Amino acid sequence: MADHLMETRALESRSRRDGALDAALERLAPGHLPERPDTPDLHVTAVRRLPAVAAQYAPFPAGLDERLRHALATRGISQLYTHQAETIDHALAGRNAVVITPTASGKTLCYNAPVLHSILQDPSSRALYLFPTKALAQDQLAELQGLCETLAAGSGGEIGVFTYDGDTPQDARRTIRARAHLVLSNPDMLHSGILPHHPRWAKLFENLRYVVVDELHAYRGVFGSHLCNVLRRLRRICRHYGSNPVFLCSSATIANPRELAERLTEQPFELVDTSGAPRGEKYFVFVNPPVVNQQLGIRRSYLSETRRIASEFLKRNLQIIVFAQSRLSTEILTTYLKDDFEGVPGAPERIRGYRGGYLPRRRREIEKGLREGAVRAVVSTNALELGIDIGALDVSVMAGYPGTIASTWQRAGRAGRRASRSAAVMVASSAPIDQFVVRNPAFFFNASPERALIDPDNLHILVDHIKCAAFELPFTTSDAFGGHDLQEILGILAEQGLVHLDTSGQYTWTNESYPADAVSLRSVSSDNFVIVDTTQESRVIGETDFTSGPATLHPKAIYIVEGKLYHVERLDFEGRKAFVREIDCDYYTTAITYSRVTILDTFAQSDDQRAGVGAERARPAHGEVHVVSRVVGFKKIKFYTNENVGSGELDLPEQQMHTTAYWLTVPAPLMALLPYAADDRRDGIVGLAFAMKQVAQLLLMSDGHDIGISIDTPGSTGSTDSRIFVYDNYPGGIGFSEPLYRMHDELVAGTHRLIAECECENGCPACVGPVGNTGPLAKIAALRILDRLMTNRFAMEGTGVQKA
Amino acid sequence: MLAAGALVRPPFIFFDLETTGLSGGAGTHAFLVGCGWFDDEGGFVTRQYVMTRYADERPLLGTVAGELARAGALVSFNGKSFDAPVLETRYLFHRLEWAGARLPHLDVLHPARAFWGDRSCSLGALEQQQLGARRAGDVPGCEIPARYFQFVRSGDARPLAAVLEHNRLDLLSLAGLAARLLRLVRAGAAASSDSREALALGRVYARAGLEARAYEAYECAVRTATASSGAIASDALRALACLSRRAKRYADAAEYWQQVLGLRGCPPSIAREASEALAIHHEHRVRDLAEAKRFALQSLENGMHTAWAEAGRHRLARIEKKIDRRLATGD
Repeated sequence: MADHLMETRALESRSRRDGALDAALERLAPGHLPERPDTPDLHVTAVRRLPAVAAQYAPFPAGLDERLRHALATRGISQLYTHQAETIDHALAGRNAVVITPTASGKTLCYNAPVLHSILQDPSSRALYLFPTKALAQDQLAELQGLCETLAAGSGGEIGVFTYDGDTPQDARRTIRARAHLVLSNPDMLHSGILPHHPRWAKLFENLRYVVVDELHAYRGVFGSHLCNVLRRLRRICRHYGSNPVFLCSSATIANPRELAERLTEQPFELVDTSGAPRGEKYFVFVNPPVVNQQLGIRRSYLSETRRIASEFLKRNLQIIVFAQSRLSTEILTTYLKDDFEGVPGAPERIRGYRGGYLPRRRREIEKGLREGAVRAVVSTNALELGIDIGALDVSVMAGYPGTIASTWQRAGRAGRRASRSAAVMVASSAPIDQFVVRNPAFFFNASPERALIDPDNLHILVDHIKCAAFELPFTTSDAFGGHDLQEILGILAEQGLVHLDTSGQYTWTNESYPADAVSLRSVSSDNFVIVDTTQESRVIGETDFTSGPATLHPKAIYIVEGKLYHVERLDFEGRKAFVREIDCDYYTTAITYSRVTILDTFAQSDDQRAGVGAERARPAHGEVHVVSRVVGFKKIKFYTNENVGSGELDLPEQQMHTTAYWLTVPAPLMALLPYAADDRRDGIVGLAFAMKQVAQLLLMSDGHDIGISIDTPGSTGSTDSRIFVYDNYPGGIGFSEPLYRMHDELVAGTHRLIAECECENGCPACVGPVGNTGPLAKIAALRILDRLMTNRFAMEGTGVQKA
Repeated sequence: MLAAGALVRPPFIFFDLETTGLSGGAGTHAFLVGCGWFDDEGGFVTRQYVMTRYADERPLLGTVAGELARAGALVSFNGKSFDAPVLETRYLFHRLEWAGARLPHLDVLHPARAFWGDRSCSLGALEQQQLGARRAGDVPGCEIPARYFQFVRSGDARPLAAVLEHNRLDLLSLAGLAARLLRLVRAGAAASSDSREALALGRVYARAGLEARAYEAYECAVRTATASSGAIASDALRALACLSRRAKRYADAAEYWQQVLGLRGCPPSIAREASEALAIHHEHRVRDLAEAKRFALQSLENGMHTAWAEAGRHRLARIEKKIDRRLATGD
């Protein structure tokens, strides 16, 4: 009777939710449900219905330990999804496997089952789990401990599961090293806290059977290149202790999961890419805010549009997550939604912000509020894109295109219950990349997701890790490590006095330092700025990484935490501290950064016929460059209206680096063919660079700050040619420049399409940049330059790219 | 007694390392292990093991293990947090057993902090203040790793001579400080030179269960405390009150708490504890509710921490209720 009643209630609440969702979607796209053809020029450019998918089950693999099977049954798991069974099969047979897992498809069982099986069979077995963040490890801890308790109750013996990270108290560490069968950690801790202390972890490394790498797709670019080297060190230590662990990885959908896994671990992999998990029906809607000024190509603010759309769902009591592109827009949207929906002060907060830089306790509280339903909306940066358990929400609203196809699907996956309907809405900003995607829905829905690129043999990164490895175990004269000549590198380190080759043929670490401390896996420098609120007594309210410090914490900047505004009174650059005070104002600030690029070495340049004829030919190239950048000023932008209400100049230290870049030289004779004045031609180059960066980002699956852009105009460097640089925003480069050079044709064609298809008259933020930043002829001049590049390319069709 | 409960018996081996860095981890080596002990004639013997080639580390550790095997206890300065873990890592690295794991370990830094903690507690400062020792031409600790690396590269051992001497002097000072502490503990509070030493002695005795000697030392600390060491007097009185309460001498305990409240410059947290204890004492033992209320109010005045204030308010409310009830029943 009671069961029946509960079931009826569940059904009622489900149909109530479905009804509310339908009503909200109907408001958004009247009369168009369930599906309709794309309409690039309308407000809603696409509505796609993704049908529900039924579950596909498979039996438990025959060899799986009885006790484990029993424990799983006790916890309500009596059969496996096909992808789980397949992955477990590979793991039990000792094959490395990478499994592609949509959100909520039961990926943890894919690796927990073989790991626990191995421990039940042989209690000395050990496993190491790596999560990209501490929060994810915490999240998994509870689930694993629950499963282990069930196993212990079924007399499977005690299985120790512990997190080991920067938050682990010193006095607990010894116990954990002695008792943990499963160590849940992150690459940073493995790098600086475990590998350098491997003698204390001898038991783990001797018996290491499995290494689990969760959220594999997070390891691309700089972070991935570092991880690859950390794993090289890990496998070196394992060899020393005589173990050879199997790697199990899970990844969101990317184009090259197997390739990424194989590059990161330098091991062969099996790929499991068909999910057997069920999915509820989902609507995916693309929204383009209407144009409010045709001439300037200005659309209604996408943040206001997101606010309006989020309200439609919130009003109908649906639980939503809103993804914003930056910390700043997260705070702005949180402020907007709080204004609209937060009740009286002191009542439980129904609208919360969420981003990196919040202290862990606040984050745990928000996650719990979401799971329990007390929090009705959370506005987040990509911090909630990964697998933190926040329960299943009804709707995911993305304020702005997340930048990659893979992360768009991840974010959309945050909404979705197994049985009822859910929706994902992408609201395009006026950024060129957003406009390209929202106006070409098929590009998004039909294209394969991006490839994740890493460059583990970046010399800066590799040498850093060779130092760490030399500290951990002496190298011998016959060792190799990474893609460069190790012996040559060791020779240089010996000259610097860091290692010493003794008569027994071993390179020993001969330096006082602890090299891992000087290497941060996530950014250029392990430094970060802390933000100190001095409104009452001094307290730390957040932190930010070194590179974005100057741009967000410069003096007079407005720093925002969950909608509260703080004025930066002083930036102690040396001490890495920003002192702020609460303020009540109606504007926020954005920084103006200036950068200059000098070519150091050209690795490859296109051959003569390729991109032009005679002296007019444009020359794509890639190579090594020197970049100097500095935050030179800031603008004050009014909330809601986005008016520019003031500006200021700043005098902050320069940041310098050597990196790699792709560049395009547009020679003076080509520019001379354009029927415009010199200033207008220059505007054309500025506009072209602006659009090119967006397309490069799209092609490279990179975050906006992974690449930088800079231009040389005639006169600025003594040359009469113009040049556009797209550089890797990381010392030494991170492997974007060469692929971009190879994709030059696609880059030019894509940029042309972006600008030509834009509806504005003279340029707008969606193509060549706002008219205020460029001149009135920027758009047409940029198009003319591109025409030249394209015409010549088509004339020479078939020549192809020639590599140096 | 000084080794926090561990049974320490001779022979003591004093040990001190010179290392290639301060960070620990697999790449930090102990290139010099200095050991010292008292021989049968009472002379102090030091023996130093130097790693002349990295390849010799394993046999060096083996020899040191043999040396330590005859020890009844290890004595070091800051060795619990630094020297022992570094050495342990070296043994683990070579898959050898670390002998120190089985031995009681007296780290002189901790009692030194308790006895002489109002001044700098570096070994250099302590040897000057407590032993009157002076070093001439000592090599600064921060230069030591560089000297070793210089030796490794050049094969010229001359820069190491000063390092060996530095290590030998460290061992001597360590032995001197340990001897001074042991003498104090043996002689009792009468031999203490100030109230802080007496207070520290009281704590050593109390931990060892020697109540009479602990009382004596605490009383001595209260007596000898000067105006500038008011915090020591309140700590000693608090310790006396707690000892008395544990021995169920409640009236004595109350007396000590009263004295705490009479002290000038008593830290607020101890004052709060005293008035709280007195409120409890008057509510439950003396049953003088008016007094109890007075102390409960006083403890609230001193209570800054919200959780304490909460508990204090709760107590006050209960006392007031009792008073009301008594009034009502005409008690």
